[in-house]
Amino acid sequence: MGKRKSLIKIKPKKYKDGEIVKVSFMVMHPMETGMRKDKKTKKLIPALYINNVKFEYNGKVITTMKVWESLSVNPVFTTYMKVNGKGKLKVTFTDSSGEVNEKTKKIKPKG
Amino acid sequence: MKRRDFLSKLGMGVAVTAVVPSMSLAADAPAPKGPNALSYKAAVEAVTGGKPVETSSKVHMKVPEIAENGAVVPVTVTVDNPMTESDYVKAIHIFATKNGNTRCIDVYLTPANGKAMFSTRIKLGQTQEVAALVELSNGKFLTAAQSVKVTIGGCG
Repeated sequence: MGKRKSLIKIKPKKYKDGEIVKVSFMVMHPMETGMRKDKKTKKLIPALYINNVKFEYNGKVITTMKVWESLSVNPVFTTYMKVNGKGKLKVTFTDSSGEVNEKTKKIKPKG
Repeated sequence: MKRRDFLSKLGMGVAVTAVVPSMSLAADAPAPKGPNALSYKAAVEAVTGGKPVETSSKVHMKVPEIAENGAVVPVTVTVDNPMTESDYVKAIHIFATKNGNTRCIDVYLTPANGKAMFSTRIKLGQTQEVAALVELSNGKFLTAAQSVKVTIGGCG
């Protein structure tokens, strides 16, 4: 398990059961394309990018993504989600180097 | 006269050496291609499998017309389609038509998403079109594209 910094944001902050909320997932990741050169050594920097992202809500997969290197540095993935009771939102993402990271956020609808 | 000759020759020589390396560099640098390079046509065909693709006003793209920095270009794709069990948006693919690897991201949605929308930030190497290909649950393919002017490329 790697230690990439990541963050899950839910908008609006207070939501009810059954509401559709915006979910943003951010990762601190260099997203190297493999085409960029190091300015000092003039050698190519090897490619390193996020391959797969998976959103799971209470064990049920809601969104999967196949990602290529043309996404920006520190990418953001934003989509919607229907709140369906208390639970956990788990995001798993895999690197091209095989590194797997995880981030969870509690879902607590009010009212 | 001799001194003048010498000086002019010296000047020419400096000018030539200054020009030549930059020219040779420009000639030696072909379009850079990464390990996953794939053209736009091939990428679309790989997704659709040869099925017809319809240009639709149902697919809305929100991309800046002029991107000052090609390294960070926000892209938002929204589809006017209900998200019910019987009729939903299955996948959203985003392509940058002139990047080495045109594929940016393939998003597979489910009815649990509630709304068919996806937003991210991509890198663009040059001025080009950003295209979205949407797959519906009934097997139809919709597409939309928008051109983006890039002032500074963001690849490599």
